[in-house]
Amino acid sequence: MSVVMEEAAGGRRRSVAPMLVGPATILVVLVLVVPMAILFRYSLNQFIPGQFMVEAVTVENYVKFFTDSYYLNVLWTTVQVAVACTVISLTLAFPVAYVLARTTSRYKSLLVILAVFPLMVGNVVRAAGWMVVLGNDGVVNSILRGIGLTAEPIKLLYTPTAVVIGIIAVVLPYMILTLQSVLEGIDYSVEEAALNLGASPSKTFFRIVFPLAMPGVLAGTVLVFILCMNAYATPVLLGGPQFKMMAPALYDQIARSTNWPFGAALAFVLMTTTLTLTILSTVFLQRRIRR
Amino acid sequence: MSAIERVAKMRLTRRGFIAGSGAAALAAGFPMPALAKGPVVVGTWGGDYQALLTANFEKPVLEKKGIEVIHDVGNAPPRKTKLLAERASRRGTLDVACLSDIDMFEMSQQKLFDDVDPAQVPNAKNVIKQLQKTYAIPHIYSGKVIVYNPSKMSPTSFADLVDPKFKGRIGFADGLYMQIIESAALVNGGSMSNYEPGKATLTELKKFDPRVYPSNETLAAALKSEEVWATVMWRARGFMWKKAGIPLATIAPKEGTTPIIFDAAVPKNAQNKANGWAYLDAMLDPGGQVLFADRMGYVPTVTNAKLPDDIAKEIGFTEAEQEKFNIPNYEYIAKNNSQLLEWWNKSFKA
Repeated sequence: MSVVMEEAAGGRRRSVAPMLVGPATILVVLVLVVPMAILFRYSLNQFIPGQFMVEAVTVENYVKFFTDSYYLNVLWTTVQVAVACTVISLTLAFPVAYVLARTTSRYKSLLVILAVFPLMVGNVVRAAGWMVVLGNDGVVNSILRGIGLTAEPIKLLYTPTAVVIGIIAVVLPYMILTLQSVLEGIDYSVEEAALNLGASPSKTFFRIVFPLAMPGVLAGTVLVFILCMNAYATPVLLGGPQFKMMAPALYDQIARSTNWPFGAALAFVLMTTTLTLTILSTVFLQRRIRR
Repeated sequence: MSAIERVAKMRLTRRGFIAGSGAAALAAGFPMPALAKGPVVVGTWGGDYQALLTANFEKPVLEKKGIEVIHDVGNAPPRKTKLLAERASRRGTLDVACLSDIDMFEMSQQKLFDDVDPAQVPNAKNVIKQLQKTYAIPHIYSGKVIVYNPSKMSPTSFADLVDPKFKGRIGFADGLYMQIIESAALVNGGSMSNYEPGKATLTELKKFDPRVYPSNETLAAALKSEEVWATVMWRARGFMWKKAGIPLATIAPKEGTTPIIFDAAVPKNAQNKANGWAYLDAMLDPGGQVLFADRMGYVPTVTNAKLPDDIAKEIGFTEAEQEKFNIPNYEYIAKNNSQLLEWWNKSFKA
């Protein structure tokens, strides 16, 4: 009798499952898969100046990308900036997330809101703020000149450093929140046990806390890396015209050159690179978690 | 009478029903004059341009006709992308597209616009002959000049900017790459149909560390702080910057001035075409064009707009300058834009 009921319940579950998954799947197919398929098709078209986009099936746009050192450098710069921003934000976010997770202060909620606060301001607005801070007549240069450290302004704006600072400011809250949620789940008594058994605080961190927080590190790293690879507004506003990452280069092709086929190819190279690096880092980190 | 009493008196009598139904039938059979003619969606630049469109054309001319203006504000590249993306659609999102003459020509090559109908745009008959085109109306125009700091230098040609004396002091706006390559070409044996010699001039200039700024605004800030002393820009911009207190002068270079025209057109797939044409007609209103010139420094495109002498002297072009106008070869630009931008990014800026 109970078997029959379980089977019936299983049948209901099976019939309910497609209904639950269906709407989201349809939405993803319509707004993501279909446009991407169209974009991929565009990437195989030809660009003839003056004629916009000509129907064709050619890989010349991909060949152009992989044989042109300029575009390979743009991709390399993008990967370097994304890796640097991810590593720095992980380093900066971990202590903050740890304090947020462990604190018993009645101001904990306020601290969490403060960590999330930058997300309430758009990327462009934040980048504009950094322009005010880093410009030749900006806050930093004014202070440096004011205290007599420099006579001429130091070039801070329109440099790769400015881009890294700007992107980290954007992604840091994501890293903090992801790590905090995982650290909250680690029982503090485990750390206490290690300390009671004579482990130093640093050994406790590296042998106990960090390995247990690896799922959060993995999730945060992947999320932040993807955001960094696709950064647009910050590199444009803080990197200046000479500094190129993939998303601004892609925009240049589609909007300024009206070269949609090559722009589409750049989009797919960026997506494939991001996906490949994400999968590789996930596999690597998961192996470390298992160990 | 209280509200409750008023509701209580709203009883439906037979006479009242007949009167009411008769009125409704009449209204259905004989259309009443519409209070509003509906919306018009205008793809335009923001800032001063949008504010002046509202103050000088939309409020005084279009509001009276009952047309509600909706602005789709943005730079030209996304607007071009939108027009191209929607070209297969029967229902486009823009009723009016504002673009520079170069961009407008490029888009017109894709057959995106209706030809201007003189019956629907009566003011088009006043457009300066040299500026007329079939697919768009010219709204305002200016010319490319050298904008410089008179206390630091006095150039007369683009060639004067290629000088080690001005190392690090020449600045350009990234968006004007085409105009800068063209200027460089004209002083090195190039023409309006051959910008290639410009590459050699700019390669030479690159040795003297020219600056490239992401926008006109950042370039203006650099001119103001005297980080750079000269640039290539529209005279109208120079006029605006001067008005804003930046120490600048403008000069039409010896090699000639290239006019820049800001056009407006009605896309083939516009949903409110009649309002689109009405908008284009309003843009050619002489009174509004004079006010536009006073504030933004762009020269009117209609013969019946008369500028005060002092403004005309400041923003206009003398007959001698007009004779030396270098008229853009739009076809050449459309065919070479992509490779010139690529050269600019890869070789000049890199």
